[in-house]
Amino acid sequence: MKEMKEIEILDNKIRELRKVAEDVMVEGAEIEAVKRNTKRILASITMLELNVCDVKEIF
Amino acid sequence: MPKRDIYWNPILETLPIEKLRALQLKKFKRIVEWAYNNSPFYRKLYKDAGLEPGDIKTFNDIKKVPKTDKGMLRDVQSRPPFPYGDILAVPLSEVTEFRQTSGTTGIPVYQADTWQDWEWWAECWSYILYAQGYRDTDRVFIPFGYNIFVAFWAGHYAAEKIGCEVVPGGVLDTEARILKMKELKCNAFMATPTYVLGMADTARKIGIDPVKDLYVKRITCAGEPGASILTTKRRMEDAWGAKVYDHVGATEIGAWSYECTSQPGGLHVNEAFFLVEIEDIETGEIIDEPGKNGKMVITAFDRIGKPCIRFDSKDVIRWADYSCDCGRTFRIADGGIVGRTDDITKVKGVLLAPTAIEEVVRSISELSNDYQVVVSKKGDIDDILLEIELRPGYEDKKEEILNHLKDQLRVRINLGFRVSIHPFGSLPRYEVKAKRFKDLRKLTREEGH
Repeated sequence: MKEMKEIEILDNKIRELRKVAEDVMVEGAEIEAVKRNTKRILASITMLELNVCDVKEIF
Repeated sequence: MPKRDIYWNPILETLPIEKLRALQLKKFKRIVEWAYNNSPFYRKLYKDAGLEPGDIKTFNDIKKVPKTDKGMLRDVQSRPPFPYGDILAVPLSEVTEFRQTSGTTGIPVYQADTWQDWEWWAECWSYILYAQGYRDTDRVFIPFGYNIFVAFWAGHYAAEKIGCEVVPGGVLDTEARILKMKELKCNAFMATPTYVLGMADTARKIGIDPVKDLYVKRITCAGEPGASILTTKRRMEDAWGAKVYDHVGATEIGAWSYECTSQPGGLHVNEAFFLVEIEDIETGEIIDEPGKNGKMVITAFDRIGKPCIRFDSKDVIRWADYSCDCGRTFRIADGGIVGRTDDITKVKGVLLAPTAIEEVVRSISELSNDYQVVVSKKGDIDDILLEIELRPGYEDKKEEILNHLKDQLRVRINLGFRVSIHPFGSLPRYEVKAKRFKDLRKLTREEGH
């Protein structure tokens, strides 16, 4: 149960992270430096999702 | 109960089996759907087999999904987009990494990865290195040629991700690498087993004892099966006074397995990131019971640029009948890769795996690390010649050592070998993948066509 709670909290935070990064991507779409750095951030967020969010759905 | 800080991700690495299988099914469906929707090659493959992604509902449905192999990956390369072919599941503009296979078994396969895929490579390697004890206090040396082969590229990025200080040993020669490792007091490095042994020989030649004069505590191997062959692993550990850990990966697949610090006698399969199926070589049935050899069919769940789904790797593996005291629930491939379906060959009617010869040669401490095997035809009869070197100082015991070697070969491999002894240092040395097994019968057959 403790682990489930931990996963839920992390999952919510990671979803927020993705939302913010996607917003930055939209807002900064015409600035190459913003677009490219955000793309890298999104790839890192995907790694968080593979490590945490994917598991949440099977509990 | 093992401490949580031994895992890169305790959530996934200790997931109960039933949850792990549920996760695998979910991820398998997701990658098949991705490939179907984005890769013309996979879409056609599945449509021709009458398969829609929605048809996969249970674990049993997975075997309905057509397999892929290296030949298919080579064939698609003749089609656009250049140079990868229509297996690509992203626009070419999304590809940030090019690598290729070594071409040991034919035309090289070109591998495309997006930045997300590259993050994923480093993530898979982070599981490996963390399980082998790498931490942010380590200074890691990478004696690798940083080139078109993936080899230790991902190890470099993963070590950075873990927080290690990484020293790239790129274009330096072996002596310069050893001196740099000494100067910087590096405490870990990554190399093929052949090169790990070769570096120790070179160090001693320049008056450096790797055990006493260097600071190495752990070594991660790749590229050859040596670190899972007990006699070779011992040689490496003795030569360096360090722990030697194995991992297995491939350019087209990713880094799918790793040995942990418990060294259980096999490799944990990273089952949160890969699906490994073992198929009976004769019947094609899936083998779930331990101890039975079969060929590996593997899926990388999260590689999106050039997906790898039910790939027939030709590697022969078997499930272990033991668990590991590290507490990981990922299953163990007993003894690592125990052979390759395209390496195992019949000599004088006996099935021979080159790793068996390595195991015998490396068990005799008077023999050097280097050897070569040549199989040829003398008339209608197979001839197998083993070329070896004695370590310096053992020349007067030549006959005794030779007889012991021949006995071991007969007992453990059931074959009579011709053996020739060469001066120490005269057989070929290798830096990356050693090519010690030469089957001249194949050459004669191929030339005949």
